[in-house]
Formats: sequence, structure tokens, C-alpha cells
Amino acid sequence: MAARVDYFYSFRSPYSYLSAPRAFALADDYEIDLRFRGVIPMMMRGQSVPTAKRIHTLRDAKREADRLKMPFGHIHDPLGEGATRCLGVSEHAIDLGRQREFVLSAGQGIWSEATDPATEPGLRLICERAGLEWEGCQAALSDPAIADRVEANTQELLDIGHWGVPVFVYGGEQFWGQDRIDDLALVLSDAGLDRRL
Amino acid sequence: MRDWLERELGPRLIVAASTVTLPALAMARARQILGRSGRLEMYFGFDDPASAYAVSDLGRRLVGRNVIFDLRPVVQRGIKDDPALEPKRAYAITDGRRLGRRIGLTLSRSEAIAPQKTAFLATWAAAAPPGASLTRFCTEACRRIWFESDGEIEAAQYEPLWRECFGASPIADPEAVRLNEKKMSSRGPYETPAAWVGGRWFFAQDRSAQVADWLDELGWKVER
Repeated sequence: MAARVDYFYSFRSPYSYLSAPRAFALADDYEIDLRFRGVIPMMMRGQSVPTAKRIHTLRDAKREADRLKMPFGHIHDPLGEGATRCLGVSEHAIDLGRQREFVLSAGQGIWSEATDPATEPGLRLICERAGLEWEGCQAALSDPAIADRVEANTQELLDIGHWGVPVFVYGGEQFWGQDRIDDLALVLSDAGLDRRL
Repeated sequence: MRDWLERELGPRLIVAASTVTLPALAMARARQILGRSGRLEMYFGFDDPASAYAVSDLGRRLVGRNVIFDLRPVVQRGIKDDPALEPKRAYAITDGRRLGRRIGLTLSRSEAIAPQKTAFLATWAAAAPPGASLTRFCTEACRRIWFESDGEIEAAQYEPLWRECFGASPIADPEAVRLNEKKMSSRGPYETPAAWVGGRWFFAQDRSAQVADWLDELGWKVER
């Protein structure tokens, strides 16, 4: 059985967006079961984010995006309904095995194409680009079981004592931030999980 | 309209403004023409393992560049009323272990240090001018605290190191620490370690390669 790695992610976090291609690629390179866990954004959980932090996050994310050669800057902040709808569809995408495609498509839309997932045209574009049928996605948005799964993900992040995203958890050890993917890879290699060897 | 400003125009303007480099490049060029050095302000805490890593890592990256490593210790910092303060301090130990591994060092502590426990070191170092002596003291003190010892941190353990570096006894200046904290806040950083150079600030433990690239762009390249 493949080792489990939980990947806590927020659609409102630019660092989550930056982490996604490398996070999903871990499952290509290592013998792991990468479980995507979408969580409710901090500001929708009643936590405030100081202006200085918000400004620096965007500046820093832009520099990191340039370094990673990822598009960034034509933004639509999905706080609220947009984030909620992306979380709902992401659970539906997990059921269909298309979470990677959906998360990458949503990130691209939100952080580099100013796509508004709170609108039908916006979310539909994101879903269909990920190979998801719009009718199924719409049904997921009104499914209370899906909403419960998102709540459970968020609660689990809090239960493990973490506050931000992205976070990876492997064997009880937490790796916070897109800057720690290489450290996680090192630990996975140490555990003999590298498929490439 | 307000929604569009907050969700789209505001973030886009912040990102676009962050790519403007001309004023910083012109300022750096002017300093170079006048024969002056560059300056990298490094805000750090002796109580912070990420700072211990960053002081060492960035110090290495500045070798051979005509840039002053302006080490500015602080005690009070962080996001006001941060509900995640305690989990962050605990996580800093886990993370410090990984950062240490990157430079071949093993973290010797398993618990966070309260900022006040190392405040005396900050009051000494904040009063000293930047230069080789201060860099040596801060780098070595950070290394001893985080990679060579456990338990209490006493002034008597670090006074010999200070005398070795400066040839005199340390003088505590709490007001100099407060000034560093104010300066850090005015520059923008809210956490340590943070590096400020050429009008930009960086998370010093994670962006040292970016800092080096930015210094190259500013013309403060490795020369020797």
C-alpha cells in the first residue's frame, strides 16, 4: 500500500497555487497516495490577515511565480462564494479522479486569468477545462455531503495544530509551505519511496 | 465597483508595482558611482532557529560582494494578536531541524525559546556597528544557541565570545533594539528572519537565492 501524504490546500492562497504542480508531481515520482484536502480560507474562518501581510504575499508570490515560470498577476480574489464553489467541485473531482486537473485549472483561472468562480461562466470554464461535466459539478455544489467533507478537511487542519496552507502531512510530520516540497521529497526518498531509482 | 477594486484591480496593481525596478536600480547605480557600498538589512531574532539558519546562509551569499551585512536583532515582532503564535513557535523547531540539515547542522534543541530569554544578546548586538565583528558574533552565537546547546542561555556563556569578536565587554542598549523593531515595522516585515535590500524585503530563510539574484541585478555582484 502506498504511503499516504495529505495535502491541505486553499483556493484563496497564492502559495497553494504555486505549490500545486510540484505537489501533484510528487505522486508521479514517489510511491505515495497524495490526498488533496481543500480547506476553507483563513479569512472565511474568522481570522484576520494584516494589510502588510496581504501586500507582501502578493509581491512575494509574483517573484516566486516568475522563478517557477508560472503565470501570475491577472487575479480575481475568490474570497467567499468563489472559494466555496471551488471547494465543492474539488470534492466532486476527487470522486472522479480528476482533482489534479481541476485544482490546476482553478489556480490558473484565479491567479492568472482573473476568472471569477462565483459566476457560472467562470466556474464552468474551469471545470470543463479540467475535463469535468458541468451538470455533475452543479449537482455537487448543492450536495450537503460534499460541504461536510470540506468542513471535515478544515477541521482536521485545525486539529493537527496548523494555521495556514499549503501543508503536507506525511507520517504525522507537517511540511508547511510551497518552500518545503523539496524537504518532503527528501524525506520520501529517505523512506525508500522514490519510484525513479 | 468596490468588489472589482478589491478583488481584481487592487491585487493586480500591487503585483504590477512590485515589478518596477528602475528607481532601485538607479539608486544602486548612483551609490556605485559614488564609490559607496550596498546595504542589506537583516532583521532576526536570537530566539528563532530560522534566523540562525538565515544569518549563516545569507552571510555566505554576501561574501565577495561590496554589500554591508547590516544585522539588526529584534525581540518583539510578529502579527498583532496572532492566534497562531504558539503553534508557529512550536513548528519553528520542526522547521529549524530541516533548515539545519540543508547546511549540514543538527538542531540541538527540541523546544522553543521565549524571546525574552535571548533579549540580552539583542541589546548587545543592536548597539554595535555592522561589520565583520558583529557578523562573526551573531553567526557564532546563533550557531551555539541552536546547533550546539540545550537548556538555559546565560550572558556569562556569551560574554567571552563578544570579547573575542570586539576586544571589549558588551554594553546593553535596549533602546537600540526598539529602534530596530520600529525600523523593521516601517520596512514592512512582520516576522523574522527578514532581509531588506534595494527597496524589497524577503523571507530570509527561504529567499536567499532571490536575494542573491536581486543583488546581482542591482550591480552588487560577487567580485572576489
